[in-house]
Amino acid sequence: MLRASSELAARMKEAEGFNAWACFHCGTCTALCPLGYEILPRKLFREAMLGLEDRVRASIPQIFSCLLCRMCEENCPAEVHIAENIRTLRYLINRQEFGLK
Amino acid sequence: MAHKRRIGVYICHCGGNISDHVNVKEVAEALLDEPGVEISRTHMFNCSDASQQEMVDEIKEENLDGLVIASCSPKLHLFTFRAMAERAGLNPYQYVHVNLREQCSWAHTGDKVGATEKGINLTRAGVAKCALTHPLTAIRIETQPRVLVVGAGVAGMRAAISLAGMGLSVFIVERGNEPGGWASQAGRMGPDDRYGPEVVANLLAQIRNHENIILYTSAELTAKSGHIGDFTATVRLRGEEDVSLNVGAIVVTTGFTPYEPEDGEYGWGKPGVVTLKDFRQMLEAGDGPLTYNGIPVRDVGFIYCVGSRQTKGDTCPEPNTYCSRFCCMATAFSASLLHEFEKESGQTINQYHLYRDVRTYGHLEAVYTNARADGALFLRWDPKEPPRVEQSNGRLAIKVKDTLLGDEELELGVDLVVLATGMTARKNDTLNNVLKIPESKDGFYNEIHIKLRPVETAIDGVFIAGTAQGPKNLAESVASALAAVVKTGGLLKKGYVNLEPLIAEIDTDKCVWCNECLKACPYGAIERVLCGDKEVAMVIDSSCKGEGACVPVCPQDAIDIEGFRDNQIMAMIDASLKELVAA
Repeated sequence: MLRASSELAARMKEAEGFNAWACFHCGTCTALCPLGYEILPRKLFREAMLGLEDRVRASIPQIFSCLLCRMCEENCPAEVHIAENIRTLRYLINRQEFGLK
Repeated sequence: MAHKRRIGVYICHCGGNISDHVNVKEVAEALLDEPGVEISRTHMFNCSDASQQEMVDEIKEENLDGLVIASCSPKLHLFTFRAMAERAGLNPYQYVHVNLREQCSWAHTGDKVGATEKGINLTRAGVAKCALTHPLTAIRIETQPRVLVVGAGVAGMRAAISLAGMGLSVFIVERGNEPGGWASQAGRMGPDDRYGPEVVANLLAQIRNHENIILYTSAELTAKSGHIGDFTATVRLRGEEDVSLNVGAIVVTTGFTPYEPEDGEYGWGKPGVVTLKDFRQMLEAGDGPLTYNGIPVRDVGFIYCVGSRQTKGDTCPEPNTYCSRFCCMATAFSASLLHEFEKESGQTINQYHLYRDVRTYGHLEAVYTNARADGALFLRWDPKEPPRVEQSNGRLAIKVKDTLLGDEELELGVDLVVLATGMTARKNDTLNNVLKIPESKDGFYNEIHIKLRPVETAIDGVFIAGTAQGPKNLAESVASALAAVVKTGGLLKKGYVNLEPLIAEIDTDKCVWCNECLKACPYGAIERVLCGDKEVAMVIDSSCKGEGACVPVCPQDAIDIEGFRDNQIMAMIDASLKELVAA
């Protein structure tokens, strides 16, 4: 059982430029990812929006492996700023994991 | 027979549809031997302009007094050939249609000899019937330029205003104390953010200012008599006083009843579980923060498809299988209103939207796109495992398997669960007994043809519009109301209506008024009259549909249906069995 946390969800809302709510889960991003990570980016964003912190943390290697090539973003029919959202997650993780302010 | 008939028989190839399986030349030749047949020939297409012109010329030149068309189903071309007969100066009721396609060639594709033999027999029966026809004229009804609208919701009010604008007098009967229907309680309505009470107030002002519209509230339609073009409606005011209204047509816009969840359905009955309508009233009532039981609301879970798209099961023996059409849009629109509230109040509210399929069709898609852009999270559940609502730590918990997250079970802590309840048919036995409009299995009123005759009913002169017919959003309700206006206007502005003369006829010499026909007639088309000093049954021409329920129940054999008289039916049977009888 995964418990949603509205606190992390609220932080995602405050994060400038994060707009993955617009996603309607077509899976184009996953299909196009040259790294072939299944987790990126559709499911990852959903976990962040639900505040599933452990899940997000478990995906740290993938989050930092992203090439920011924007193949997914260019083809996203819902106009989700995928690369920017990945960078938002990196920023939040850095602040939390390494105490950066 | 008083004189020898002069009948023309025309067999259609239907471009091969008939002639590939029936030897049409053989049929035409065989028919030449039938008594009364002057001409018997084939055409590639009887319905083509050229063939019709040839037949018109021949009917005139040969002075024919009977016509048999053996072709497709009369459903397709009965009126085509009636009009052709009229152009040829032949009474249209002396033309008989034989179905050689659906009832012969298409049914016997592998048996040309058999199909040809059957074709001959069917056409012989048509000729036998034709020989016993006589000229008839349509029943002409003068129409009354007044309309009764039942139900003063937005659909009814909009219809009334347009009908009055056509110069017709309109009476609106509203059962409630106030006009306006559900829109008057709807608050801000998507997709264009109109305020429901304002929409209603606007329509009501137009109604009040219109000299041709009379609005009765706390009023009920309790009786209806008469027929298309000339009904007498009895309306009971405030449960005591009756008024009688003479109208040419009735438009029924009685609306829907919101679905009431069963106890325990998605937590219904638990504190914090509310309908979308309740939630919107909470949201729009408000000064200050959004609270429930004094506690500020942090998380809201919306559950879609409540009471719609149900499947039959133990807890749901009579499922509402339809989609209610408006709820996805209304709930997604509420997401944006809640977001707007967040921005204005500074109160952070997290929203989860638990849906089966989002059906914001057409331009409504923008409402869904906006809701997602505003930060509403949409989670999709499978109808096999619907979300469960439980109480936990003084709050509510929704447990749901998110199909977009690999079916893992999620627990969402929320303060409010909002159920997007659908529409159900309005129960109104009094009205149903008066109007007798056929209902679908869901209980909504049925139109004649969902695509081609969407506002007409089986009861001539009675039209349906809005959600009385089935779930619709407001724009669709108004569109159907205006469709009903056009059909009503077309009927009443012409001043008269022609009805089929193929109706029952009573032999008053034989009739002993036993009452059986009256009991059998579903249209109320029989009444008791005095013929001299003898009580007999009489057919009300304008109400009779020629259905024939009265014929077999008559113990005196005193009733015949024009166009289907006993002697015609007997002659058809004899003619089609001619060869068997001879052998």
